[in-house]
Amino acid sequence: MSFASFIFRRVLQMIPTIVFILVVTFVLVRLLPGDPASAILGDRARDADVARINARLGLDQPIFVQFLYFVRNVFTGDLGNSISLKVPVARLIAERLPVTLLLTAMAAVIALVMAVPLAFVSALRRGRASDVVVRGAFQVGLSMPVFYVGLVLLIVFSANLHWFPVGGYGDGFFAHLYHLFLPALTLALSLSAILMRNLRAAVIGVVGAEYVDFARAKGLRSRLVLTRHVLRNALISTVALFGLQIGVLLSGAVVTETVFAIPGAGRLMIDSIYGRDYPVIQGLTIALAVVVSLIFLATDIVQAWLDPRVAR
Amino acid sequence: MKVVTGQRPRMHRVLFDLPATMIIGGIILFASFVLAFFPSLFAPYDPNAFDYGALLHAPTLAHPFGTDNYGRDMLSRVIHAYTIDMQIAVFATIVPVIVGTLIGAVVGYAGGLTEAFFGRVVDAIITFPFLVLVIAIVSVLGPGLINMYIAVGIIDWVFYGRLTAAEIKVQKRLDYADAGRVMGYRPSRVVFRHLLPNAMTPALVYWMTDMALAILLGSSLGYLGLGAQPPAAEWGVLIADGKNFMTTAWWISIFPGLAIVITGLGFSLFGDGLAEFLRTRR
Amino acid sequence: MKRILAAALTATFLFSSALPSLAIERGGTMTYGRYADSLFLDPVLNDANVDIWILTNLYDTLILPTDDGKGLKPGLATKWNVSEDGKTVTLTLRQGAEFSDGSPITQEDVKWSLDRAKNPDNGIWNFLVQSIDTVEAKGDDQIVLHLKHPDPAILAALTVFNTAIMPKKAFEASDGKTMREKAENFAQHMVGSGPFVLKSWDRGSTMKLVKNEHYWAKGEDGKPLPYLDGVTFEVLPDDATRILKLKSGELDGAELIPYSRVKELQDAPNVDMKLFPSTRVADIIMNVRQKVNGKDNPISKPKVRQALNYAANKKAIIQVVTNGVGSPMSSYMSSATPLHTGDGKAVYPYDLDKAKSLMKEAGYPDGFKTSILVLAGSQDEIGTATALQQMWSQIGVKLDIQQVDNASRTQKYRDGNFQMRAGAWTDDIADPNEITSYYVYSPNIDAVHSGWKSDEANKLYEASQQELDHDKRAEQYKRIQEIYNSSGPTISLYESPYPVALSPKVHGYVQIPLGNNIFRSAWLDQ
Repeated sequence: MSFASFIFRRVLQMIPTIVFILVVTFVLVRLLPGDPASAILGDRARDADVARINARLGLDQPIFVQFLYFVRNVFTGDLGNSISLKVPVARLIAERLPVTLLLTAMAAVIALVMAVPLAFVSALRRGRASDVVVRGAFQVGLSMPVFYVGLVLLIVFSANLHWFPVGGYGDGFFAHLYHLFLPALTLALSLSAILMRNLRAAVIGVVGAEYVDFARAKGLRSRLVLTRHVLRNALISTVALFGLQIGVLLSGAVVTETVFAIPGAGRLMIDSIYGRDYPVIQGLTIALAVVVSLIFLATDIVQAWLDPRVAR
Repeated sequence: MKVVTGQRPRMHRVLFDLPATMIIGGIILFASFVLAFFPSLFAPYDPNAFDYGALLHAPTLAHPFGTDNYGRDMLSRVIHAYTIDMQIAVFATIVPVIVGTLIGAVVGYAGGLTEAFFGRVVDAIITFPFLVLVIAIVSVLGPGLINMYIAVGIIDWVFYGRLTAAEIKVQKRLDYADAGRVMGYRPSRVVFRHLLPNAMTPALVYWMTDMALAILLGSSLGYLGLGAQPPAAEWGVLIADGKNFMTTAWWISIFPGLAIVITGLGFSLFGDGLAEFLRTRR
Repeated sequence: MKRILAAALTATFLFSSALPSLAIERGGTMTYGRYADSLFLDPVLNDANVDIWILTNLYDTLILPTDDGKGLKPGLATKWNVSEDGKTVTLTLRQGAEFSDGSPITQEDVKWSLDRAKNPDNGIWNFLVQSIDTVEAKGDDQIVLHLKHPDPAILAALTVFNTAIMPKKAFEASDGKTMREKAENFAQHMVGSGPFVLKSWDRGSTMKLVKNEHYWAKGEDGKPLPYLDGVTFEVLPDDATRILKLKSGELDGAELIPYSRVKELQDAPNVDMKLFPSTRVADIIMNVRQKVNGKDNPISKPKVRQALNYAANKKAIIQVVTNGVGSPMSSYMSSATPLHTGDGKAVYPYDLDKAKSLMKEAGYPDGFKTSILVLAGSQDEIGTATALQQMWSQIGVKLDIQQVDNASRTQKYRDGNFQMRAGAWTDDIADPNEITSYYVYSPNIDAVHSGWKSDEANKLYEASQQELDHDKRAEQYKRIQEIYNSSGPTISLYESPYPVALSPKVHGYVQIPLGNNIFRSAWLDQ
């Protein structure tokens, strides 16, 4: 099977996944106790007001009727309007999702930059002082709740040293990068620790395997052995893990976005859940599902490239 | 089969040959579990008792970890939190480890359609909005730790599944797997007896990280009010409570933080040692 | 009725007592950190404080509330008169006032705005102006309100955000098929009558207001208000981040400072920690129905409720939850609400022995198990519930704390499926009728969904809604409060000010007791 058809097949496979997620989300959010009216009105919710709002939103219809309307609208490219924010869902997603994508991408880059070299140092100098220091440092990073790490970073680097702004997103691409550095670092701390541990274990496993001895025996220079053979093989399971963790980060950066006041998709999602803003939850879920599926596709491709047998 | 250099250790010498990391990690974990099972033996005060005469006291001999804004003794709260947090670490991850590893092994060996289907399941689960799930479960069962285990379990197993599947795929192409097949063993025997023990290392190593991650997830959910319920002491909730006092009463958040770091260190040292031990025993 | 001419009045109010000699400086943009973004900036159709507390900067009402939240001062109307029988209100429209696009504010705009506000199909605030039958434009500059019945609160209602004056033409010219769609589009490209106008809005992040060049009111220096060139709101949901940003000088103001940090910021050199008087009250609301979920409900007995009240040490709660910032309540409504009765002491002083004997009398000498709903993640509510859990264990009551999100909680108490819940209230109108209609008057929402009912209180409330004689109305409210405080479904815990941290260079900013953030007379040291 050719590489192109491998990709084509994977893209086709994305469709049922997304449909499945959509149906489950659609039903689940409507099963949550409370409705948009109760969420918005809170203490002051009067039965008449709640009924009026639900009728206007079409929420008094049977759930399958609502779903048919929704499907029809999606096919015409209309994700509907946000119930609480009164703006088109598509516009909200276009505003908020890129923020989270950028944040996640930066976190991923920082995590890789920290994890990959240090994992090799740690693995190849196993048991020595440098190994102990590296692992200890990553362990501390892994063990701190993100809201705590975020706040410590803000206090030290923003409030005291004034190197970075205290939260926010800024105007313009470079301002975004500048504003997102600390939050990305916060996310990267635990991500890099996970990757580092996995990669270190993999390198130790591979270094002990016979094909490395064989390569050395063939007289290849050790650096070449390291990059060509060890790195390649050690990376396979790390890439799988990396893809999964990125998927989790995309929908799970709520706390970081809250602490750093970043207007990202994570906050939009939780606000929408609390507000029972069904159209936003649904639209955002579709968008996230597409992005995450593409990331998984990318990791599959990388894995296939590292080890062509994976693609088969 | 892989050639093992050096002598295979005899059983009575195993203990002495255990990697140092495993021993240190084991000691930390043992101590943690002792605290978790018998917190009252070590905690000097009732962890939930208010003391209006001792609000926000800095660490002293009477209160080595200080007191919080209700005058509760932080040392006692940190110790009692071991009970909940060690539960979270173990219970939230144990089912995912077992289920995920077994499914991953089957998927990795079978490949083909099974694998394609599994891939879509993984995509669906990871892509699913986790908080919708947590809030849905909480709304059905009420808030508390059990819900968290369920919510975590639904997501978490796919990590073990994917890790193990990837590793099995590599292992099954190595010579010894072919040897097993050539010798006519049933696939289940090849997978679970021969391949899985070799392919389990990444999952085991990840498990140790995952237990620390589970505690952290508990703390994030606590921050959002969906984790352990008050007045129960749980490290993440303690840190979240102490967040507003970071500049004025640092002791409220620092000591629970240290407890997480030390326990996490125990898990990961033990995990590293275990991986090494499994490798050299093979 | 006081009739005061408008110009420079605001300035007098703000500066006469506090800062008499300070020379005002114009210009600059004030950056203000909020805990949450606004949702829908429509005076009539909004549902939440995040909108209400900002709206007064975008749209003026005919009458404006004074900074103490209790009095009236001229807004787009320069004077007003209520007829002898209380059924006609005549207002004189300000001459030369303009919308932010420079078009004149006409009688037609006023009539249209008030008709929209009182339409029972529009939003949830129309009950405040339900007494208005018709709105008539008379002569060149008069607006006459014909009421269905005398309404003692009508002038106060004309200061409330939902009666704000909007431009009819610009609104109707907005995109949209229905009035609702027009409102949604207009809210994002608004033309207003207030001191500021919306310039840009990045949802969840930043909202920029700029000064309305056509605003009518004059400042202390004789030139038009506002002094500021603009106000920028930044959404910073995490308390700690909001405070850090203020301390580092990136914000000029930050709202909703947690009580636990007030003391620290009062001592900080570069922070002006304000505690603006408010109408905010915090309480526990109990389900008093005979049965809850099919089981007998101990809390249905008034003696049990009194016992719980006596056993709740409010002083201690004020200490641990509000760090001493709050004060005890002597009625269900705040002491800043007109016609409030009480002496500033807690309705039920802490008395454990009395609580124990009341429990015995009620037939629960060993207490019972019950539960409380608190808002997930709310430190105040969790703290209160944790404290009550400790206090009530003294009378054998075992309290189970359940954190739920807002929508689930609303659903539970609308279904009557709860035992207790933590609650809070802030008035929107300088009158006791709003809180009383929700808390006491059972036909509205079952006395905050508690199932509590008093025919006497209901009758008194109905009568008070048409009582023009101030003293008689005060008498009615005195009795309502007596009934409610002695047997009602609430445990009144504390009232607390609005904690706002400002940079020392900010002057003239105020959050009035009704919650509105008023930037019209704010200015910055340049």
